[in-house]
Amino acid sequence: MANFGQEGNITPHTYETATGYNLLGLVYDSLLQIDEDGVPQPWLAEELTISDDGLTYTMPIRDDAVWHDGEPLTAEDVAFSFDYYQNGPPGRFRTAVSAVESATADSDTVTVQLTQPAASFELRTLAEVPILPEHIWSSIPAPDEAPFDDSTNVGSGPYRLVESDPGTSYMFEMNPDYFAGTPTVEEIRVIQFANDAGAVAALRSGEVDMITRSVTPEQIPVLNSQEGLSVLEGPEYVTTLLVFDTQKEPFSNVAVRQAMDLATDRELLVSDVYLGAAIPGNAGWVHPESPFFDESVETTFDVDAANALLDDAGITDSDGDGVRELDGEPLEVELLAVSSNALRMRIAELLASQYAEIGMNIEVASLDQEAFDQLTWPEYDVALGRNYDMAVFGWSAPTQADIGQMGALVDSDPTLGNLNIMGYVSDEADALAAELRTESDPDARAAVADELQALIAEELPLITLLYPNGLYGHSPAAFDGWTSITGQGPINKLSFIPADARP
Amino acid sequence: MGPWRFFLPRVGQYAIVLAVAISLNFFLPRLMPGSPLALLAGVEPSELTQEERQALISEAGLDQPMIVQYFRYWGNVLTFNFGKSFRMNEPIGELILDRLPWTLLITLTALLLSSLIGIALGVLAAWRRGRASDVASLNTMIALESTPSFWLGMLFVALFSVTLGWLPSYGAVTPGATLSPWETIVDVAAHAAMPILTLTILSVPGIFLTMRYSTLSVMGEDFIRTAQAKGLTNTQVLSRHVVRNAIVPVSTVIALRLGFAFGGTVVIETVFSYPGLGRLVFEAVSSRDYPVMQATFLVFTIAVLIANTLADLLYPRLDPRTRT
Repeated sequence: MANFGQEGNITPHTYETATGYNLLGLVYDSLLQIDEDGVPQPWLAEELTISDDGLTYTMPIRDDAVWHDGEPLTAEDVAFSFDYYQNGPPGRFRTAVSAVESATADSDTVTVQLTQPAASFELRTLAEVPILPEHIWSSIPAPDEAPFDDSTNVGSGPYRLVESDPGTSYMFEMNPDYFAGTPTVEEIRVIQFANDAGAVAALRSGEVDMITRSVTPEQIPVLNSQEGLSVLEGPEYVTTLLVFDTQKEPFSNVAVRQAMDLATDRELLVSDVYLGAAIPGNAGWVHPESPFFDESVETTFDVDAANALLDDAGITDSDGDGVRELDGEPLEVELLAVSSNALRMRIAELLASQYAEIGMNIEVASLDQEAFDQLTWPEYDVALGRNYDMAVFGWSAPTQADIGQMGALVDSDPTLGNLNIMGYVSDEADALAAELRTESDPDARAAVADELQALIAEELPLITLLYPNGLYGHSPAAFDGWTSITGQGPINKLSFIPADARP
Repeated sequence: MGPWRFFLPRVGQYAIVLAVAISLNFFLPRLMPGSPLALLAGVEPSELTQEERQALISEAGLDQPMIVQYFRYWGNVLTFNFGKSFRMNEPIGELILDRLPWTLLITLTALLLSSLIGIALGVLAAWRRGRASDVASLNTMIALESTPSFWLGMLFVALFSVTLGWLPSYGAVTPGATLSPWETIVDVAAHAAMPILTLTILSVPGIFLTMRYSTLSVMGEDFIRTAQAKGLTNTQVLSRHVVRNAIVPVSTVIALRLGFAFGGTVVIETVFSYPGLGRLVFEAVSSRDYPVMQATFLVFTIAVLIANTLADLLYPRLDPRTRT
């Protein structure tokens, strides 16, 4: 398989990207495993019992799971893992276990006690955190600096990572004793390419059989036209957004945000930029494939209505230069986009011309990724504020896969709203975000999610432009067992275990 | 005494240049907008608490005043302690030593080939000045000179890997293959072939043009006419008098390119996913990996300075008139 972009050693402590995380799933197991619909199912945990107050999770651990070095996987390993991540270096998994008060093992059963109810605990913690072998890691104080070799590459998953050479290649070897059945492919070698063009060339020359990351839409006809190759296309929970500083004029004015939303031709962005390989954005943020999607939220494209809205709000073009003024200031703003992302650059240009129709003068500026991040999301800490007008932005799949993340997008508290790069402040949104975090009754939670979607569609703290589809070039003759998890693509352990063993 | 009188003042000059370059290596990365925090934190830096951010920043020494960091950096440079990469968590010396041989393999081979080809074609074109073959080669070279390297590289991949299937499109060796020593040589050569070909084609024009002009100006000199008048054959005039004199400026060009050979070629190494120094630098710059940027820039600086010295030393040997 071909990968591109940067990646570190693929261990729970050193992987770098979402692809690295996906590959990590081949090596390690978690207590629950999401099925093809993204719903957590029993995995290392044979079943899950939650106390009525939502604070105690009791899980018997299956007795047939074995580490790659032959040691049995026990409830002690599970309890150890929670503890180890809590005391380990910062990162996704440490955050995931932050609500855990204690994890204790009693013969084959693990009991996890939370400090407060967490509605996303199953999805974000139990189904995500890789369980570590206590006999390996208990003597290693700094896991992110531990060497990668045969003494540390011990997981319990369908594959063992036997070679890891960041920047060059990785080698996964089948674990014949895997508890969920013998994996379907003996060896998986992942080659690291500098960019997607190199990966596509290697797929076309037959040097690789699959590309682990989504390729750009213009590669679809190239790959489909070659005999023996095809593109696995499916919806993905990745978002492409228009964000703005909602604390600054003109974006502090809700009429301006609403007018921009009305003036956004999402269909055009999908057809022109993504050549159809994307789904138009929903004003309420949630992907139509998500179980939480609220169909009643409407997304409208109507330039006349947008102009009328601005006229009514008194934001008019008083000096006749084609640009409206708000409080005497012309609507002139800078729109940032990352220079290495040609698709987003094109989106920025199209948006500039679409918003010109409603009397806004938009100048597109391109920056490299780090410089862009520093303006939109300084030090990745929204408490530090922001220093931009408007930007074409995007969040990765986990922000949609867990509906609880919708609160993080709009909550005005910088800790709870750690994705709120728009600086959006609304008491109503804060209240809904809080309910979303703690409400564990599924129906009640869905109702809260609906309310928040309606609020986002009305208030427009951000404009959801589109959801790019996952595009995975592959050679079906070499391997055709790809199993996609809704919204999250085909690189996961379900693709490599027998069909009857899938959750 | 001669060589020393020549050398000593230059040592002083080079020391100053080196000191300035080393300082620039420190400040340039830090003047770029952007932050290495994402690197320090691994994935999802947004999930960090305030204390965790502080801990990471101070662990990397980035919370110290700039001037303290600067002197600490000098201490490290003088003791050849480059520290660890923010990203790879590996000692930087090892990272560079891993990558450098691959870069040198392609850049030095290409430099050798392009020098030989450029010089030979340059002399030939000058000799046939104004004739069809000269005009044709001149135009070809100018066209090649302006060819973007990534485009040429991609064309070769499309031709030799995708269409013909002769050469591997990526990497420096076939990963995971167990090969005999002989097969290893073939494997390395097959992987290096396209990068070398692309680099050679793109660096021939510079050498060709310099050699052609230099040959032309030598051919206009009186001593050449004298040599011809003496009744020497064309080959004798060319080899003994023309080339010997015309090669002097070209040698400077080649010596300077030798210095840049260490920098690798970001674009070529990216197109062919070749694990050289150029890619290491590119990755370090795009993720603001300060220690790697500093160390690799230092290697480049020293290589260029050595190449300059070499050119300075070479000149008097090739051209006795510049001996002092």
